[in-house]
Amino acid sequence: MGVRRLSAADRIYSTVNYTLLLIFCLTALYPFIYFLALSFNDGYDAMKGGIYFLPRVGTLENYTKAFKNPHIINSFFISVSRTFIVTVGSVILTALLAYGLSRKGLPGRRYIVFFFFFTTLFSGGLIPTFILYRELHILDTYWVLVLPSLYSFFNAIIMKTFFDGIPGGLSESARIDGASELSVFARIILPLSMPVMATIALFVGVGIWNDWFTGQFFIQNENLQPAATFLNKMISEASFQSMTGSSSGSSIKNMNEAQMQLRGVTPEALRMTFVIIITAPIICVYPFLQKYFVKGVLVGSLKE
Amino acid sequence: MTAKVARGKVLPSKKNKTWATVWNFRHIYLFMLPAIIWYLVFCYYPMYGILIAFKDFKYNLGILGSPWEGFRYFKQFLSDSSFYSVLYNTLSISALKLLFGFPAPLILALMLNGVMSGKFKRIFQTISYLPHFVSWVVVVTLMQKILSPNVGLINDIRDHMGMEPIFFMGMPSLFYPLVIISDIWKGVGWGSIIYLAALTNIDPHLYEAAEMDGAGRWSKLFKITLPTLTPTIGILLIFSLSGVLNAGFDQIWLMQTPATLSVSEILDTYVLKTGIQQGQFAYSTAIGLFKSFISLILIVAVNKVSKKVSDVSLW
Repeated sequence: MGVRRLSAADRIYSTVNYTLLLIFCLTALYPFIYFLALSFNDGYDAMKGGIYFLPRVGTLENYTKAFKNPHIINSFFISVSRTFIVTVGSVILTALLAYGLSRKGLPGRRYIVFFFFFTTLFSGGLIPTFILYRELHILDTYWVLVLPSLYSFFNAIIMKTFFDGIPGGLSESARIDGASELSVFARIILPLSMPVMATIALFVGVGIWNDWFTGQFFIQNENLQPAATFLNKMISEASFQSMTGSSSGSSIKNMNEAQMQLRGVTPEALRMTFVIIITAPIICVYPFLQKYFVKGVLVGSLKE
Repeated sequence: MTAKVARGKVLPSKKNKTWATVWNFRHIYLFMLPAIIWYLVFCYYPMYGILIAFKDFKYNLGILGSPWEGFRYFKQFLSDSSFYSVLYNTLSISALKLLFGFPAPLILALMLNGVMSGKFKRIFQTISYLPHFVSWVVVVTLMQKILSPNVGLINDIRDHMGMEPIFFMGMPSLFYPLVIISDIWKGVGWGSIIYLAALTNIDPHLYEAAEMDGAGRWSKLFKITLPTLTPTIGILLIFSLSGVLNAGFDQIWLMQTPATLSVSEILDTYVLKTGIQQGQFAYSTAIGLFKSFISLILIVAVNKVSKKVSDVSLW
């Protein structure tokens, strides 16, 4: 804003502003630093407390034990494969839908848009959805981890708005040259839409990576549990045990079994480590996509 | 438009013309077909399943075959005192989130806007988004550890200062503050994106002109900045108001402990417990339907009012 000299009031304002922002950013970042320090620290030593920024008795034991634990590894790979399949599938299918919605002159377009939009206003709710999954026989199968997450109207609208911004002449001339709809879509629209594809991929990917609900209530098979669900079972198991001092139930038995293989590593340290393992992929990805998704959120918020 | 699209074909009647246009777009419909099927199965079929709320649902009889019960389950929950405490908790949590959580992103955006250096601004922003990308499971794990009575960070510090440890997550009186703080912590950075974008659209000349007229920091804020943001604030407020029965399932479910149930049971967690965990499908569906229906009315009403008053509307 072309400010050359700062007045005293401005300087005070700036200082307060920067300080508050700095404090906020530290609180946003610090829990992860704390967990990072604990995950690299010996579990029994950590029980004495007093670790804030750096490990006191450094060890990689927690990580080697975590990566040897069959339940952790399995749930991690369930999450990885599920995230990959849903992200790729969802981006392609949503793009096809959004491309359709963005085509001007499409007969019945208004009705089709309403057909999709209505589902954001009103939904069947939990129990009818549960019964649907049961009738489709996808409860307790890998399908339930994948199928219900393929579409989101919100994402389709973000993509549609992006496609609307692509000059119609480009695809029109290709069509006149005899290109099929599919090749127009694949050769012209998609290459021009990489930013929005990246944004949607991030949204879908993060959402599915973080989803614990599906694994918790629609999956019973321990071998199909996604990482977020497994982490939740680890923490609820811990609070259950600390409250009652006893343990029972199948998932809890399983947890004890998992912990038995971890002699020398405290369950607490293992949880910290698992939190880091589950968070690391996201922390590595999102800063690079930031400039895209900031735009994506904006486009999505501006309805036609 | 239609004439242009249906190029090259001589079409006698208007009706045939429409079908010809449809035929021209056949590939586009094919592109959307998976979506239409998916929405019919995963969104519309559960809507039909709502009938369960009016039936004595038995698996072996199916949805249509089960005997009708009319409004029995609605009467049941409307005469159940625990339903009112659940409704009260839901509304309290939503109201508190609206009161404290709604202005937070706006304030953060205004603060970030006051940062002169572009580099710092970007770093602050990137860090502020971080919690948004982390699962509630992780956030609650972080909270449980940091607030844990045995060597959690906070109690560790309290111990150094000679204070008694507190079991934060197990105290009903602390449940709402923890819900609000963690909700703001997780969402404030992400929520500020929209405001920041609206802020960058303000013409700097406006500020310069105002300064020449002797406007100070606060009058610029109230006369230029906030009025520019009003439509954005309006849209977001509509969203928040219409979601007032959504107190935040993930967060609440993961944060609640048996000790805090009296204040932490909300409609969504109650539906899940009575439905999936206790198998009272009809009763639980009835409550779910009650919730969806009120939400639908709210969103339509709020949108209508907003359209009249401020010309801001979702559709």
